[in-house]
Amino acid sequence: MNRFTRRKALKIGAGAAGILAAPAIMKVARAQTGGFNWKKFQGQSIEVSLTLGPRADVLRRHEKEFTDLTGIKVGSEAVPEQQHRQQVVIQFNSGNPQFDVISISWHVQKRLVGKAKWLADMKPLLADSSLTAPDYDFPDFTAGGLRWATQGDGRMDTLPLNIDPWMIYWNKELFAAKGLAFPKTFDEIVMAAEKLTDKASGQYGWVSRGLKNANVPVWTSFMLGHDMDPVNPKTVALQTTTPEAIAAAEYYKKLNKDFAPPGTVGFNWNESQTSFSQGKIGMWLDGIGFAPPLEDPTKSRVVGKVGYGIMPNGPKSKNSATFGDGIGIAAASKKKEAAYLYTQWATSKLMCARLLQSGGGSPCRASSYSDKDVIAGLKLPREWLTCLQESTAIGRPGLPEIVPVTEFRDTFGIGLTNTIGGADARTEMVKATEAFAPVLQKSEAS
Amino acid sequence: MRRLLRNIGFGFSVFVIVSPAILVMLWMLSLSLKTEVDNMSFPPVFIPSPPTLVNFFDVFEKNRFDTYFINSVIVSGLATLVAILVGVPAGYGIAKAQAHKLAMLTLIARITPALSYLIPLFILFQWLGLTGTIWPIVITHLVITLPIFIYVMIGYFESLPADLEEAALIDGCSLWQAFRYVALPLAKPGIVVGAILSIIFSWNNFIFGAVLGGRQTRTLPVAVFNMLTFEQVAWGPLAAAALLVTAPVLLLTLFIQKEIVGGLTAGGVKGG
Amino acid sequence: MSQATLEQKAAIEETPERGRAFGRHYLPFAYPALLITAAVIVFPWMFTIYMSLHDWKIGQQREFVGLANFVKLATDGRFHEAIWHTLYFTVLAVVLPVIFGTIAALIFNERFPLRGFLRAVFILPMMATPVAVALVWTMMFHPQLGVLNYLLSLVGIPPQLWVYEPSTVIPSLVLVEVWHWTPLVMLIVLGGLAALPTEPYESAKIDGASAWQMFRHITLPLIMPFLLVAIVIRTIDALKAFDTIYVITQGGPGTASETLNIYLYLNAFSFYNIGYASAVTIVFFVLIVLLSMMLLYLRQKAKWS
Repeated sequence: MNRFTRRKALKIGAGAAGILAAPAIMKVARAQTGGFNWKKFQGQSIEVSLTLGPRADVLRRHEKEFTDLTGIKVGSEAVPEQQHRQQVVIQFNSGNPQFDVISISWHVQKRLVGKAKWLADMKPLLADSSLTAPDYDFPDFTAGGLRWATQGDGRMDTLPLNIDPWMIYWNKELFAAKGLAFPKTFDEIVMAAEKLTDKASGQYGWVSRGLKNANVPVWTSFMLGHDMDPVNPKTVALQTTTPEAIAAAEYYKKLNKDFAPPGTVGFNWNESQTSFSQGKIGMWLDGIGFAPPLEDPTKSRVVGKVGYGIMPNGPKSKNSATFGDGIGIAAASKKKEAAYLYTQWATSKLMCARLLQSGGGSPCRASSYSDKDVIAGLKLPREWLTCLQESTAIGRPGLPEIVPVTEFRDTFGIGLTNTIGGADARTEMVKATEAFAPVLQKSEAS
Repeated sequence: MRRLLRNIGFGFSVFVIVSPAILVMLWMLSLSLKTEVDNMSFPPVFIPSPPTLVNFFDVFEKNRFDTYFINSVIVSGLATLVAILVGVPAGYGIAKAQAHKLAMLTLIARITPALSYLIPLFILFQWLGLTGTIWPIVITHLVITLPIFIYVMIGYFESLPADLEEAALIDGCSLWQAFRYVALPLAKPGIVVGAILSIIFSWNNFIFGAVLGGRQTRTLPVAVFNMLTFEQVAWGPLAAAALLVTAPVLLLTLFIQKEIVGGLTAGGVKGG
Repeated sequence: MSQATLEQKAAIEETPERGRAFGRHYLPFAYPALLITAAVIVFPWMFTIYMSLHDWKIGQQREFVGLANFVKLATDGRFHEAIWHTLYFTVLAVVLPVIFGTIAALIFNERFPLRGFLRAVFILPMMATPVAVALVWTMMFHPQLGVLNYLLSLVGIPPQLWVYEPSTVIPSLVLVEVWHWTPLVMLIVLGGLAALPTEPYESAKIDGASAWQMFRHITLPLIMPFLLVAIVIRTIDALKAFDTIYVITQGGPGTASETLNIYLYLNAFSFYNIGYASAVTIVFFVLIVLLSMMLLYLRQKAKWS
């Protein structure tokens, strides 16, 4: 059953991609006559290590096209986020990473890989016209994407792959049954969640991550609405005990404690998604890239009923907590040029368009959104795209740009999880801040 | 009549103690043979109707199970082979010399948390330039296989009657010859038991492969853990993968249970 | 070994003391294994001590800090909590398997049809790949869709949150551990039961002792050394438990099931604080050695009395 439908889905996908691919291939042909030679590194083979997810799916599905285009063999793998982040560090640190190309999460790893200079600078490669295809169209990348990709010292050690703004999935049917509209403010979220919750029938108004570490973006989503970042981007001072941060933690506590299904303390995105797709959850706050399975009848009972809501107005500002991924080349790689061709292909207009169409993420190229053919091939409702564009417009980093992001998430994540169990929000945030402050101080000092 | 009742009561208690083992295994089988819709329904569907192999196809299609399988075989096989080569003489020497302090050393290996080996060994492999190959995983697995094996062999050699070797020594054999031609042939059953236990506990190990394995060197338990999918919980394929990993070990246990039970009872050992 | 041959004859025929002195000629047999042990076990230990004296984070310079890491451990609340979780988990994960394993051993000590096969089935859990079964248990624990809550509902018990609730997470994890390792205890105790003499039972029967009295006053004292072995092994393994906890909860919810091993892993491989993690390792190891020595001491005492 599963298999059949996936096959079918792939076929449809391939068809849509075919239409798109035609002009691209013509462009490539033209490029070759114009002097650019994709086959310069024919016969080499590179290793590609990606974080498991829709982005990796799209790249790996079309990998063969890259090999056909360049004659470069690709060995790729997609590893679950947590293990991937861990292995990246261990392998980089060994000085002999087993990959040439690597995808990283900017919001977690950017400063770490930047500080250690584990990735090659893309700028000289981009400037080299013998290595960069004339139709790569670098200026097409959005300013936001390039800002993420560039380190503090001016090096650009990744190419923008994807930006992931957070938004609220809402169940239109449940809202309609209660005569509710999608909330416009944070307080309306709480009110709607309350009205939608009917524990006796197993219906809950809200679900979001309760699992420590994973849950921190939920909290920062509310913090950004108070016009407050967890760490001041200029002074790198912790702002996690400010009234705004505490208020955000209170929202977190209220929603997850009173209106979320039991067991939410152990929920990451996948458990949240499983819950939401069963049709008994009112709202789910998470990244925008989780939509495709919700619209897949083999996996979901809410097909056609999902509303894609922009993060409502906070008391002081309207922001969407945003995260992102880049793709880079290991500085220790011996096949940098071949690897560069791969990253170029992976972030090309064609691949960005495919990523958008799959609904698995939002590419950082303006052309993906302006091209009518691309939009026509979108597999998700138009409402999703609107939500994506408007959310990106109000995007703001959901995690601080510091080295010890994992410790930050872990420490504050524990406090947040505790609030679901009834602990006082302020006490927990103060405790977490005390525990984390020395870590940050040390990491900034070195 | 009373005897019958007693028998029924006894049969029932046997059933009670065996059922948790069997029920969990059967539930794993059931999950692996059902569609996702059935796996997600509540109350649960117990008997797959009709059973489907979709999950198994899914596992093979999306993963390079063959590579991981071969990796696991190489790692467990080599680690056990080395354990046999050095462990048989070591077990013999320790048993004969009654060197209990040396036996304690293997006990310390048994006590030490596996995680504490990882960082230093990783740095050592870095110096040796072995990172990225399968060797670091094989070598770390020696931490599991060697103590188990030596432990089983000590027990085995201690239980062997010494008469034959003594006769050989009196006839002028060297110690090595007495070991090689007299004790070793007698120890074959012990070696088999020790080897099987080493292979099983090495096969089951997760943490070494998880930290040291890469795309080409991943072992099966790590691959299964990585199957936890990105989007939502997919129980069918996960259960199918879990079953595939553990099935060889379970079948081995059922087929040669007598030897395994003997070996485990003698040593009271396990890996990790 | 030429010298050995001279001693051979005499040693074999004479006193045990001389036999033991002769025994040292067998030591070279153990050298290759010792060499490997030194490389993969002793070397890591030395290096761990070295690292524990440094402030060392992957990707950064290392710096000698003396005992600062240990001083920090003394005030690290999360570390203290982890010790408690470890002890709580260990006590449950030792006592329960020992009780159930003894009962199972008494049953398997009887003769009944299919005994060999059923015994093999019974030991399957301890042979099964821990990661694989932990994943199955995770699915069984699911608060909404898990089969355990369904089974409870059949007997009228309300649904539980299992590993999704701080107060029940450790007992739930212990449940998995009990399932996993009761067979090991059974095997050890079974070995003890097999070696029991029959005479005391016969005379007790003549005296009209009940089955419980015979167990309490004859069987239990006789298998006590084996029970202690089982307790020691279980204690070591429970303290070191990792796979199950890592796969099912990763120490959560919050830190409710964060044991020393999990905290160690987190520090080493999520935070990359190699120095601090090494200090945790050392304290952890000392704890394990102390507890095992205490139990071995009890065993010795039981032997003498």
